[in-house]
Amino acid sequence: MPRKPTRRRQLLKAQPFTFSSFARVASAYKVKRQIRHSKVYRKSFPNSSGNGFIDHAPPDKSEQSESSDEEEFEGVVQADFAFFDPKPDDFHGVKVLLQTYLDDKQWDLSGFVDLILGQTTVGTVVKTEDDEDDGLYSVVSTLNLGRYKDHKCIMELKECLLKVCQEKDVLDNLRSLLGEQAQNVGLLVSQRVVNLPPQLLPPLYDALFDEVSWATEDEPTEELRNSFCFKFYLLVSRIYKHKNAVQKKGPSSSSDEAIIYIKTEDEIFHQLSSWSFSFPLRTQQLATRELRNYRLMGLVMVVEADKVSMFRQQLQSLINES
Amino acid sequence: MATRLQFENSCDIGVFSKLTNAYCLVAIGGSENFYSTFESELVDVIPVVKTSIGGTRIIGRLCAGNKKGLLLPHTTTDQELQHLRNSLPDQVVVQRIEERLSALGNCIACNDHVALTHTDLDRETEEMIADVLGVEVFRQTIAGNILVGSYCAFSNRGGLVHPHTSIEDLDELSTLLQVPLVAGTVNRGSEVVAAGLTVNDWTAFCGSDTTATELSVIESVFKLREAQASAIVDEMRKSLIDTYV
Repeated sequence: MPRKPTRRRQLLKAQPFTFSSFARVASAYKVKRQIRHSKVYRKSFPNSSGNGFIDHAPPDKSEQSESSDEEEFEGVVQADFAFFDPKPDDFHGVKVLLQTYLDDKQWDLSGFVDLILGQTTVGTVVKTEDDEDDGLYSVVSTLNLGRYKDHKCIMELKECLLKVCQEKDVLDNLRSLLGEQAQNVGLLVSQRVVNLPPQLLPPLYDALFDEVSWATEDEPTEELRNSFCFKFYLLVSRIYKHKNAVQKKGPSSSSDEAIIYIKTEDEIFHQLSSWSFSFPLRTQQLATRELRNYRLMGLVMVVEADKVSMFRQQLQSLINES
Repeated sequence: MATRLQFENSCDIGVFSKLTNAYCLVAIGGSENFYSTFESELVDVIPVVKTSIGGTRIIGRLCAGNKKGLLLPHTTTDQELQHLRNSLPDQVVVQRIEERLSALGNCIACNDHVALTHTDLDRETEEMIADVLGVEVFRQTIAGNILVGSYCAFSNRGGLVHPHTSIEDLDELSTLLQVPLVAGTVNRGSEVVAAGLTVNDWTAFCGSDTTATELSVIESVFKLREAQASAIVDEMRKSLIDTYV
């Protein structure tokens, strides 16, 4: 049977089956366009339907081209990311991103993903402009714990968090937050591919918090409007914690930091949090030389909703200076 | 009957297991739940063997086999090879082959009579397949995809292929394989059907995201509703005794 020569096939021919959708896009751009020797890196955020975004003027950044002998292309890959409302078609992409949300515990992940995709008014997924490859690079959303309290996934999530919390003083706080105060708590879900450009983070989080405030006015029923009036945001994330629990007082000889945050915004969230706790994970972490003194741990934080504007400012300055 | 299950939150059952008419391989390291689901369906009929291949758990995608034989990639360790030779029935020939494309499960789709292979497979490998698995080998693509082992799953009674396969291709493949084929999905719209499902002549296992519609398509095309394990295995035994005469 002769192979039908379409553009897609030629793309597949040029590369092996890559797991990372970013790698697929990166090599797709390499194959489709001529290798650019110009050193302009551009990302644009077009007006996507329903999000009510102001079109950002794409900031032109000149970067040094990285010459790497292992890779076939020089220079920087040009990628256009777009923000979309979650839709049911995004199921597989979002599920892959949230696979390790609750460590290796077997829970109703599909139901959880359905909740996120069902909430089109608050929540964003990041994809590329090109429709051919529907790789999903990031998902951000906030779920009201009280509104969805009868769903199996939320019940399992609450049970799991209560079980892993080993610090007595925060356990009571956690229990009340997940129990009586659930109506005021938003579970902030944010997950992305590791190599997503950090310049996307301020608009992404701005989008989320803007959508939450618009939802408090625009939702059709009063109950829904109230469900977005969050007092607290609950976050479940991961960090690398230094194995030596005791902190050295005074100038420490080693330049090791106590905590390494996998996601940059977690550092800001952690500073602004009212309380937090970390818990050990059962999955094995990748053993790299740089991280040999660190242990991968889960981190649960609670941030008061009033602190959101401070977070947005700090995130903006953090990304701009780096 | 088709059963829905998960391997550690992943619905890609076909990646972590390999089911044939004579044996079933499952990956180690999953919860006991995974293993026991297979056992409860297959106990007393065919052996369920826990294994790894090359130290990995993605055994379904690395090996290819049917009731007559099992082909393993060159990354299989000697201990794994020995373990498989010891655990599988004697009539199953276990062979490790030197093939550059080592994900044999992605490159080869087969039942007990016919195999479809990746177009770039070595000539020697093709001969090995014909020899060890006792099948007729055809180099094919499925909806333009060369990884035939990923995009189609078929047994001696029916087959499921990539949803974008055209009608002409379906007819052509169906004639080649001599079984009814249907283009469909598994695990809620996933096109990689062989990753989401593993099937033999009387039973199938698919990921828990598989919708009721997909499940009914699977049960009807593979004719699982009337299938009885003992009848098929006894048929096999009769044909084996025949070869001695």
